[in-house]
Amino acid sequence: MHNCREIKEQLNELVLNNEVLPAELSTCGECRAEFEALNATLRMTKRLYETAAPPEAYWTSYHAQLRLKLTSPAKAQRRNEDLLPSFAFLFAPLRLCAKKSIRVPLPLAIAVIIACFALSVFAFRATQHPNVLVESPVIVQVPVEVPVVHEKTVTQVVYRDRKPRFRSSKQPVNGPKPETTFARSQKFPNEDIPPSLTGFKPTEEIKLTVIKGGFPNEK
Amino acid sequence: MVSDTDLVKRAQAEDLDAFCQLAERYARRIYLLASHYCRNAQDAEDLSQEVWMKAYQALESFRFDASFYTWLRRITINTFLNRRRSSFFQRQGQKIAIQLTPIDSEAQETFLDSRSASQENIYTKLLFENVVSALSELTPSQRLAFLLRHYEGMSYEEIASVMNCSTGTVKKGVSRAIAKLRARLSPDSETAEALTSLANEY
Repeated sequence: MHNCREIKEQLNELVLNNEVLPAELSTCGECRAEFEALNATLRMTKRLYETAAPPEAYWTSYHAQLRLKLTSPAKAQRRNEDLLPSFAFLFAPLRLCAKKSIRVPLPLAIAVIIACFALSVFAFRATQHPNVLVESPVIVQVPVEVPVVHEKTVTQVVYRDRKPRFRSSKQPVNGPKPETTFARSQKFPNEDIPPSLTGFKPTEEIKLTVIKGGFPNEK
Repeated sequence: MVSDTDLVKRAQAEDLDAFCQLAERYARRIYLLASHYCRNAQDAEDLSQEVWMKAYQALESFRFDASFYTWLRRITINTFLNRRRSSFFQRQGQKIAIQLTPIDSEAQETFLDSRSASQENIYTKLLFENVVSALSELTPSQRLAFLLRHYEGMSYEEIASVMNCSTGTVKKGVSRAIAKLRARLSPDSETAEALTSLANEY
């Protein structure tokens, strides 16, 4: 059992190739009718195509017009060759190159053209901004004299009268006072007493006088 | 009768008469292809003459690898396709698919004025109008594929190679063209009686 829909797709080829309907299909009425209809349609169109040509009178003027067109460019070309005979040798190699050159696929040719264009644009932009590519900076060491003010440090010993101190009840009022290291050094100048801060009391106020300038008599 | 090869060789040696003899041999076939492709007599004349101009300019490149008509047909197809890409068909502000030539126009009269105004002529006009109308509903590529397959007898592979497309695309175009013609020229259409009689006649 054949499928008529599938067969119909093959009928076009049979008709176009001027083949007859196979015997196994001629038993199917639907396929046979479709084949005959297609055959009649294409025969008609082909016949019409062949008979649709213009009359003979038309071709006389057609060929006369064509001959006129063919002679015009030939004359023009000959005239140009007469005008520029000395430059013909320049164009001959170019013409030969164009004729003998290898055919390049259109997408490839377009890609090459775009790449060349992009490269030319980058090159042009590089020439427009030449300062962008600057050499590495050179370090130059220049000694600079800077005036420095030498300040003189003066140490001043400040003496302060001792005020009576509050004593706690545990300590005896009339007991021997602890002798400071400074006092001992005053009493016994020859004695080698190790410096100690025992008994030293810092003053509450410290007065410092800063002597400006680097000269000894300058205040 | 001088062979094509001899005429081509003479034409390559700048013998214009030889080339005109070649043109007289094949001008009708080229014109018929152009007329069914353009569906307009004036455009067909311009297009076919452009084909001959191009053939004359490119005659030096003919290497006798194929027959002269095969080479000429390739130029014809390329000219058709180039014309399609240009604004040739849009110059009247209409799209290709809807550009119909009225059957009573001067163009169709040029085709058919050699015949008398008999009943047969009327039937032929009706038939021609239907065929042109059916072909006008196709895209230019589909129409060209059908013309080359049906009228020129080219294989699908040859058409695909010349038109630079796949074989499937060509088959689809031809199949669609046949379906359109089948629908237009079927016995169920308005001109059924006339077409049936013509079909029997042919």
